[in-house]
Amino acid sequence: MSTTAAPAPMQLDISGTQHVPTSRLARVEFRKALDTRAGRWFIVAILALVILVEVIYALAANDSDKDFQDFLSIAGFVLGYFLPIIIVMLVTSEASQRNGLVTFTLEPKRSRIVVGKFLAGVALAIVVMVVAAVLAVLSTLFGIVTGGSPEWSVDGNLLFNGFVLSNLIGVFIGFAIGMLIMNTAGGIVAYFVYSFILPTAVGILSELSDGFEKVAPWIEFNTAQTPLFSGDYVPSGEEWAQIATTGTIWLIIPLMLGIWRLLRIEFK
Amino acid sequence: MIKVEGLTRRYGNFTAVDDVSFVCQPGRVTGFLGPNGAGKTTTMRVMVGLTPPSAGRVTIGGHLYHDIPNPGRHVGVLLDASAQHAGRTGREILTIGAQTMGLPESRVDEMLDLVSLDKTEAKRRLRNYSLGMKQRLGIAHALLGDPSVLILDEPANGLDPAGIRWMRGLLKGYADRGGTVCLSSHLLHEVEQIADEMILIGRGKIVASGTKDELLSGTEHKLSLVTALDNELLTKALTAKGFGVTPAGTGLRVETAPVEVGRVAAEQSIVLTDLRSADGGLEELFLSLTEDSQRDVAPQGAPAPAPTEGPQA
Repeated sequence: MSTTAAPAPMQLDISGTQHVPTSRLARVEFRKALDTRAGRWFIVAILALVILVEVIYALAANDSDKDFQDFLSIAGFVLGYFLPIIIVMLVTSEASQRNGLVTFTLEPKRSRIVVGKFLAGVALAIVVMVVAAVLAVLSTLFGIVTGGSPEWSVDGNLLFNGFVLSNLIGVFIGFAIGMLIMNTAGGIVAYFVYSFILPTAVGILSELSDGFEKVAPWIEFNTAQTPLFSGDYVPSGEEWAQIATTGTIWLIIPLMLGIWRLLRIEFK
Repeated sequence: MIKVEGLTRRYGNFTAVDDVSFVCQPGRVTGFLGPNGAGKTTTMRVMVGLTPPSAGRVTIGGHLYHDIPNPGRHVGVLLDASAQHAGRTGREILTIGAQTMGLPESRVDEMLDLVSLDKTEAKRRLRNYSLGMKQRLGIAHALLGDPSVLILDEPANGLDPAGIRWMRGLLKGYADRGGTVCLSSHLLHEVEQIADEMILIGRGKIVASGTKDELLSGTEHKLSLVTALDNELLTKALTAKGFGVTPAGTGLRVETAPVEVGRVAAEQSIVLTDLRSADGGLEELFLSLTEDSQRDVAPQGAPAPAPTEGPQA
């Protein structure tokens, strides 16, 4: 102890202060995804779209194709398209709505915010998936009304590969695009280019040129993921290799570049 | 306290902040004054770790901001009151801050009371706030974690005169309890009203610093404005002493210091109703010090293939 009893006023005593726990950062980020009209209504809209598509399917499909599994894969397919947009919004609002100024002054260690956002994004995806699964149950019941006699059993591979894994990939695609573009409108456009235009272009090219359809699953991520939610929902060894290759190109590398950018960008 | 040491920040060829050093003491309100684009915001952004310095450093109470755990509990920051999601309500913005810092919800109500935002206003979304309301909310946000240091960029911007008076009281009280306040402004009269000490910056460089009296002590007064009950008599008396006199408004403009005018009036028993210095004052000092640093030409940005007009937003 020095002779001065009280701490010198020139010094800030930080010994008693804990870091903001990661769990708290994740909880705050989860809240931030839902506490704006845009975020909340976007999720409501996605779930409404799931219901709409399920109802149309229940009315239009053959009675023999109205199993729970059919409804579940439809719900997973709709979510897969739109869930990444919520993530894009969650990430890009820090720059587009400029609240990054506050976010990154309250936690200047940016990597901790990145982890918090990842955890929040995954948690959000799980919540939405559970709600979508419940909607699939209700839709199957509705299917009975329309004349179906559904099978309730679910192929574990569909549940894991076609529903959970493909949606989680989507969530991280959202993160990668969001962090790379760092602009809400631009990020959503980029996502649609990635998810609609790219596979369509690959499809056209495959039609036009022999041999391209063999190359496509090695260079285009959407094409490579098709085995996850079609057929027996179990990709073959080669198909897993295609997912890994394209996943590196379209997910891992952009994600790394995105994180790198987020850690360095000057939030204005 | 805040200690800025040899801080430099360059953007390409453009130096936004050039070897700036100063200290903000606890128990005082330090005003950071300069024209638009002088480097105030950049300096403050470096303080809170949003912008990395090109050279030099800033410590807050002996620590780099980046090393302070849960910094909201130690340093209150308001850089831009509009930099919040426009779709969130005022209350929600404070709630997010309070949750991040690990504070109870009751703290949000206390802060809303402190800045006089009522229940209905707190429920409105930020996009429907006036600039003054945003500033109040931003100050509430900065004070949430009961910090001992406040860093506020243009906090009085958009406040009405009553609001400025309110903030002066708030910050004075805060400093009197031992807090450190660093606030910036491009408006002299705001800082003059609120700050104990001033740091004048122009074109990234500090041009003067000190208390108001210290800053003014160096200036010489050679012009006076005076009004007497009998202006004619005073004109004669002053002219007799050899001072140049010209009518100005309801009074006279005299080419000497107020003390000389007063002496003449006393000798001749002329009643004065108004006597003051016509030159000097902080306004003049501020303008003269920053004169050569006013931006009349757009700064050269980062090297680019084609020249661009004006600075980027």
